[in-house]
Amino acid sequence: MPKVTFITSDGEKTTIENAIGTLMEVATEHEIEGIDAICGGVCSCATCHVRVADEWKEKVGPQNETEKDILDMEDGADDNSRLSCQIELTDEMDGLVVEVVEL
Amino acid sequence: MRWTDLSLKSWNSKDFQLTMDNTSCPYHDPFKKARQENGVMETEVAGEKIALILGYKDVRSAAREYATFSSDAPFRVPIPSEEDARSVRQLPIETNPPEHKEYRAIVEPFFRRPMQKDYIAKIESLVDDLVENAIQQDSIKVITEFALPLQSRALTHLLNVPEKEADTWVSWGVHVFREGNSNDSQKGQALEDYIHQQLDMAKQNPGEDFFSALTRAEYQGRPLTRDEMLGFANLTFAGGRDTVIHSISSTIAYLSEHPEALAALRENPKLVITATEELMRYISPITHIGRVCPVKTDVNGVQVEADSRVALSWASANFDETVFESPEELRLDRKPNPHMAFGNGTHNCLGAIHARLIIRSLLKKLSELQSITLLSAQRSIEKEVDYERELGYKNLTVTLNR
Ligand code: HEM
Ligand code: FES
Repeated sequence: MPKVTFITSDGEKTTIENAIGTLMEVATEHEIEGIDAICGGVCSCATCHVRVADEWKEKVGPQNETEKDILDMEDGADDNSRLSCQIELTDEMDGLVVEVVEL
Repeated sequence: MRWTDLSLKSWNSKDFQLTMDNTSCPYHDPFKKARQENGVMETEVAGEKIALILGYKDVRSAAREYATFSSDAPFRVPIPSEEDARSVRQLPIETNPPEHKEYRAIVEPFFRRPMQKDYIAKIESLVDDLVENAIQQDSIKVITEFALPLQSRALTHLLNVPEKEADTWVSWGVHVFREGNSNDSQKGQALEDYIHQQLDMAKQNPGEDFFSALTRAEYQGRPLTRDEMLGFANLTFAGGRDTVIHSISSTIAYLSEHPEALAALRENPKLVITATEELMRYISPITHIGRVCPVKTDVNGVQVEADSRVALSWASANFDETVFESPEELRLDRKPNPHMAFGNGTHNCLGAIHARLIIRSLLKKLSELQSITLLSAQRSIEKEVDYERELGYKNLTVTLNR
């Protein structure tokens, strides 16, 4: 099971071993600052926004259609943006590093 | 799974006799035709000409274009407007950025309390008590005996005041103001008097409650004026009342018609999350919210005069078939579900975390029941010149069966 690291807006890094589920679920379980995920993962709230480093983009994959529609209008979103509730963690993503984007 | 059975029964009521085909219910999505034609409905609400923006993407982007669709308009964000119902501008909702940001930040810490574990436990226990009590009764009147007390008591936790304060709020009845009757200003006055009193007490004897926080807060380096404090408190009471009550009553009505939903929630507790979002989409407790166009504006071919209003129709956007597959079906496991029941963009609902918690706790607790028997129901209908929409219940009486 993969290890993932969150970098919050104050620069703090939190690494979680054996992460399972969606990236959002892992973040909320570990109370990562800035991931409120208030809709619980249905792609409605955009309070689970992260930025995926270039080197991880391929393994994590692109925004899905609904996610893209939402992020297109979100301030501070760019090509590296993903909604963490839409990222299902796989072994391939072992070592993943993401930046938390605060609203 | 369609949510029309009950409505079909209640259509017999003389309050709202309509002709309709019996396969689809026009109340669910009264904006469908106009949304599909050009995405806008030119209509009149309480004598005012308003252009309703109906398509999902249009609503979503309009909610962000505050220069074109402005919230900097005291009394004129709600539809119909509320000049008669209150004396102050509601905050932070009736402002635009950049002012909005600083205003919103003042109260945001209170609205984030529902993410705390002990807060969640308190709301769950409140729901537990109310449901257990309701099970003991032969029948309950959902609006007055369940939804109103639940909404009011839950709000005491948000505002961090003693739970018994809810007794006063319950005594105001379901409609603090609004409902367009002649009592508007009277009821509005009662709420303002109450808030003044709370602010006076907080000033004398400050604590950790919402009112005390307002008396300490600063805006642009100066203390808030009394009107500003009033504006924050007024919105907190008004915005979180009918909306939450409609959500609770509609949720219970739905479950009474769909015992299989109770079983599904019981078997799969995770469903509570997606079910809450889907109920919010389906119910859309706020049909629409106004914005003022500072200059003459073309909205999908409709000319909106300077200083006239448009409305962002959350209810229509939430049924947009280009975004939601079979929008008239209530699917408890719908995902993704990018609904906008809580608005979107700049002014997205501050109370959303709290409101979601209430509905999630309710679904979790009610899933312990075998069934809910529906004894009587009468829907309330928003009747306007060009559309009618069912929203919540006037009366709803049920028995909860363990
Ligand atoms: C199911 C329940 C609720 C629904 C459907 C709902 C819906 C909405 C919507 C659609 C907006 C956007 C307004 C706009 O764009 O102009 C909004 C804003 C707001 N709501 Fe709610 N609301 C609910 C519950 C609550 C509760 C419980 C509270 C407080 C106790 C609350 C307080 C607010 C506030 C303060 C704003 C303004 C935010 C801002 O201007 O930044 N709401 N709500
Ligand atoms: S949790 Fe709401 S969009 Fe991801």
